[in-house]
Amino acid sequence: MRRIILGCVMLASMTWAKNVPAANDALYQKECASCHFGYQPALLNASGWQKVMGNLQDHFGTDASLSQKEHDAILTYVTQNAGNSKLTQGNTTMRISQSPYFIKEHRRIPERLIDQPEVKSLSQCAACHTKAEQGDYSERTIVIPNYGRWE
Amino acid sequence: MKKIFLMLSCSAVMLLAQEFNAPMKAYLNELEKEAKAQNAAFNGFDAKRGESIFTSKYIGKKAQEMSCTTCHKSDLKATGLNVNTNKTIAPLAPSANAQRLTDVEEVQKWLRRNFNDVYNREGSALEKGDVLTYLINQ
Repeated sequence: MRRIILGCVMLASMTWAKNVPAANDALYQKECASCHFGYQPALLNASGWQKVMGNLQDHFGTDASLSQKEHDAILTYVTQNAGNSKLTQGNTTMRISQSPYFIKEHRRIPERLIDQPEVKSLSQCAACHTKAEQGDYSERTIVIPNYGRWE
Repeated sequence: MKKIFLMLSCSAVMLLAQEFNAPMKAYLNELEKEAKAQNAAFNGFDAKRGESIFTSKYIGKKAQEMSCTTCHKSDLKATGLNVNTNKTIAPLAPSANAQRLTDVEEVQKWLRRNFNDVYNREGSALEKGDVLTYLINQ
């Protein structure tokens, strides 16, 4: 019995390590995920989200400004569901791709696989993580365009 | 018989012409008033000028040359593509996408954002009215 429980706990923690809750907020989907991949709130820590939401007029070079009401509702959603794990630890920026864990996990991918038109940059999660929309970033779901599985 | 045929073809033409819904008409009226206040010689919005605003290239917010068609593409009935994020954009032409240009708040939001993206400033009432007049007929 103990072994089963231990097994379950291990399995759960393994799944947890590469999975985040899906971004299931309707307003977030409409206002954010209509222009870019709907990054799950848990991929960035609360201070990162505050930085993002503090300057939507210049959102990575694009005007993504919202009405005050929409802004406040989305700020609440992302900060209440912000990341607080090794995924986001030590990231003092507003870029998910600057998290030390993120950098470590992507360090072996050749530039040419990132630069290619089908991917463009490491910001395009769903280009390779086939279940990224659901928050599943496990290795078995990775298929890199013009390369294949990454396991 | 001739008369009936004439009437039928007239109504077909009327059906083909796109029209704004009531809230959008009210918004266009506001823009019209504003445009007139800014320039007494204003005599109505113009789709041709709107087309030129939509297709002209400009140094945008990202300090790169772009136009509205960079993402929305030249064929507004087709799907566009956000060049920054690779995300598809539903057709902008109301004839291909009935939801377009129906919600004033959405329209205002995207005019504000996209004028800033492409022209690195907000659009004037005249420019916004011209662009909307161009788009409604697509």
